[in-house]
Amino acid sequence: MKMLHPDQLDRFFASLAPTWELRLPILLPDGTRVIGCPNDAPHSLHGAPVAGKPTAAFFPQQSTLFTVTDGAIEEPPPADRPLFIVGFHPRDLACLRFIDRFFADGCRDDCYFRVRHGAAIGGLSGYCGPAGSLIPPAGGDCDVEFFWDRSSWLVIAYSATGNTLIADLPETAAPEAAELFPQLAAELPDENELLIRHASALLRANRVPDLFWADIGDRCIACTGCNLACPTCTCFGVQDWRSAQKTERSRMWDSCQLDGFMREAGGHNPLGSEAERTRRRIHHKLAADPEKWGEISCFLCGRCDSVCPTGIGIISVAREMVARFA
Amino acid sequence: MKRSLTVCPYCGVGCTFYLVSNDGRLVGVEPSTTSPVNRGGLCVKGWNAYAFVHHPDRLTTPLVRRDGVLHPASWDEALNLVVERLQAVQATHGKDAVMFASSAKATNEENYLLMKLARAVFGTNNIDHCARLCHSSTVTGLAETFGSGAMTNSISCFDQTDVILIIGSNTTEQHPLIGSRILNAVQSGTHLIVADNRRIRLARHAALHLRHKNGSDVALLNGMMHVIIAEGLADQEFIADRTENYAALAASVADWTPERTAAATGLAAAEVVAAARLYAGAERAMIVYSMGITQHSHGVDNVRCIASLAMLTGNVGRPGTGVNPLRGQNNVQGGCDMGALPDLFSGYQKVADPLVRGKFAHTWGVSSLPSEPGLPLTRAMDAASEGCLHGMFIMGENPMLSDPDQGHARTVLENLELLVVQDIFLTETAAIADIVLPAACFAEKEGTFTNTERRVQRLHKAVEPPGQARADWEIICALAERAGYGGMRYTSPEEIMAEAASLTPIYGGIAYGRLDRHGLQWPCPDKTHPGTPIMHQDRFTRGLGYFTPVAHRLSAELPDAEYPFVLTTGRTYFHWHTGSMTRRTHLLDREEPRSFIELNPDDAARLGIRHRDMVLVSSRRGEITTEARVTGMVIAGVLFMPFHFAEGAANALTNNALDPESSIPEFKVCAVRLEKMP
Repeated sequence: MKMLHPDQLDRFFASLAPTWELRLPILLPDGTRVIGCPNDAPHSLHGAPVAGKPTAAFFPQQSTLFTVTDGAIEEPPPADRPLFIVGFHPRDLACLRFIDRFFADGCRDDCYFRVRHGAAIGGLSGYCGPAGSLIPPAGGDCDVEFFWDRSSWLVIAYSATGNTLIADLPETAAPEAAELFPQLAAELPDENELLIRHASALLRANRVPDLFWADIGDRCIACTGCNLACPTCTCFGVQDWRSAQKTERSRMWDSCQLDGFMREAGGHNPLGSEAERTRRRIHHKLAADPEKWGEISCFLCGRCDSVCPTGIGIISVAREMVARFA
Repeated sequence: MKRSLTVCPYCGVGCTFYLVSNDGRLVGVEPSTTSPVNRGGLCVKGWNAYAFVHHPDRLTTPLVRRDGVLHPASWDEALNLVVERLQAVQATHGKDAVMFASSAKATNEENYLLMKLARAVFGTNNIDHCARLCHSSTVTGLAETFGSGAMTNSISCFDQTDVILIIGSNTTEQHPLIGSRILNAVQSGTHLIVADNRRIRLARHAALHLRHKNGSDVALLNGMMHVIIAEGLADQEFIADRTENYAALAASVADWTPERTAAATGLAAAEVVAAARLYAGAERAMIVYSMGITQHSHGVDNVRCIASLAMLTGNVGRPGTGVNPLRGQNNVQGGCDMGALPDLFSGYQKVADPLVRGKFAHTWGVSSLPSEPGLPLTRAMDAASEGCLHGMFIMGENPMLSDPDQGHARTVLENLELLVVQDIFLTETAAIADIVLPAACFAEKEGTFTNTERRVQRLHKAVEPPGQARADWEIICALAERAGYGGMRYTSPEEIMAEAASLTPIYGGIAYGRLDRHGLQWPCPDKTHPGTPIMHQDRFTRGLGYFTPVAHRLSAELPDAEYPFVLTTGRTYFHWHTGSMTRRTHLLDREEPRSFIELNPDDAARLGIRHRDMVLVSSRRGEITTEARVTGMVIAGVLFMPFHFAEGAANALTNNALDPESSIPEFKVCAVRLEKMP
């Protein structure tokens, strides 16, 4: 295991710059924390998961798919250097694993893997949560994990890329991750984990009546934030912009909370109300995905709950569901 | 990758977010998690606010009409032509033969400059903007009763109130991040009274939903005040200490019994009584209103009644209370604050006051300024058709779609000697202009917007404007220079704000260095003042609050045998006004792709109209075809249409009947006929 003192962070990250396009949690001027370029704002590794989903690096809100000029198709140029993104909490890593598999399954998504392929992922864990709380270590799912032990970062590589990234860091005598991590994880029973499993079971047992969704739907203002903030939401819309010179095709994050998402050409919508759309969104994560992929596709990152203006993010809805129908 | 903190360009809530860009192109939006306004959330328009910016339809070069066709031109040619032709119109017909329309979409600095250009350079008070169409009734009505025509309280007050009366505001759709606060308040036990005959989302959460007749707000509010006084629920201490003219108010509502109110409003008498008791019985009660109150030929009277109701119950000047007009556009508050109004300089200082004129003339370095109030925007069309107005300079507005009685507006605009339009897209109005100037949009410039709670917030430039497009403030300065005026040489919007603040007492403490985190709320008179979240706390701006008795007047055009329906117009959640931005945003346009009209199932059955049938709607002013939406949202006899769509334009039907005091058009009531298309 390697070690990094806080005052060595900047030097370490700067040393990677010739080879890697680095992104990490930064603190913006108004106090918002996001994953961004180290030169744009001070880094901010401690605290809650960053506001925006870290998977946006590979699947941004809007991206150009290709342009057509005089019949010639041109794809966006590849990046100069691969991305190294630090700042994935363990739950974010689970989300990344999920959408990596999703985008690779069947018809492989070139646009996603154009950026994802060759990128390195840095996990964050340890006593760097809000107010110094413990974020249980991931113990994998990334190339390298940074674990805050309250005085320094313990740095563990899980891949060849990870080993290369941290080759120059000094070794530490701290207990090996294999000894330390299971013990820490066991200390943290997660109530939300139990809650979401319980809600999933209720849905799959068909124990949640339509009236519940009508109540929730009445509180939805269709902001679409739950979808846009969710690291496992992968739906997108496609548009063409035509000018005299060229046609540009791009895609943008879509939302199943929108009427237009499922509306048929004739105007009928099988999901024509907020109630039906909200039921579908949560059913997808908690009931449909477990059948398709063998796991619930909400990894409890909490972003939809943070971004929802009316308090009906998935954890809140699960809590209400369990309280009413368990 | 770059992030630029800025303010949403859509509604008056003033949510802040980061525009995310990559290699000079916007790729998304991230809400500010620390904003006291939006607290990490956004509405669907905010989440998509980046999406129109690089649209290929953006104007990239000045255009000049030759032989009936708009041709690309150089900035030199276009700017010289604008100045020459404005001056020529003035030389032939007089200074007041031209009118400047400013923009509630533009920044404070740009509104200040256009007002300065009109007054100091072109010598006319003919300057106005679309506040005339939305909250001029508020500016007039609250200035009279309270002394200040702005939202009295702050957005945070929705978290601290017991009862909210929402009248004429579809808050979850038109001010979504305030609507969501109201929904949260309900979850925490706040009671809602929704007075609106459309079954809006908030009505589903209301303790009382009052579906009163369109245009009967004065009757309803007078009836509620009658009950409050009759049942001893009035706050006598507040009335005695803080107000004047109460006796006249009490006398004027004495005969507005619940029964008479019921007859005038179509409600049950018990509903009026229940609403009065719920509102007056609360320790803290807020009133929220918007264009359902203001856009009437008696809009100012509606506002007066609202002010009286709040004062009668002592619901002013405390947290969780107040009279809260929700301003429509992102910067309509700022457009008014900056004096883009025909009778007022910035900070609501009267042009008729010689001392005020002297102050502005001195700072601006001119010998005199015009003293007669200019034309309100809504009177401009009539003035032009009467031969009094011959040239218009329109910045960031689209009256071809937004003004009432579209046929009349088109005829007038087409017949002007000179029409100049400065905008970001070739709108329906720009398409008929003589000269078109390409402007930068919100993402491409610095400046400030003032939101509905009077919070002045900064925009930060994220990307460059397309082609040769320039920021509005740069264009205005260039015009002033070419008109021979040397008093508009600024290197940045910050310098413009410094000048505006020095002339505007309520903005006296506004300076860019103080706005960085979350802005400041005016009144902010000096550089150490922390801003004012709640107005009228110890005294009203005018001293004592003034009760103005109001008589109930009917709407200008009522249904009859020939035109049997009431048409009321408004907006949808997914589009913004004339759609120049939202109809070029894929997800928003997909959501509401075409014009529609809401009608009640009973009316639909009677007329043999099915959901999504095409219908012909006609009024005394025009006719359009649109798609029927059969829904219980509207009551029988009433139709609702949004005005966003050029095809099936609601304003081909509406009536340019104006409130005599505020000159606001009666967008909310006109008479129409509805037929199924063969």
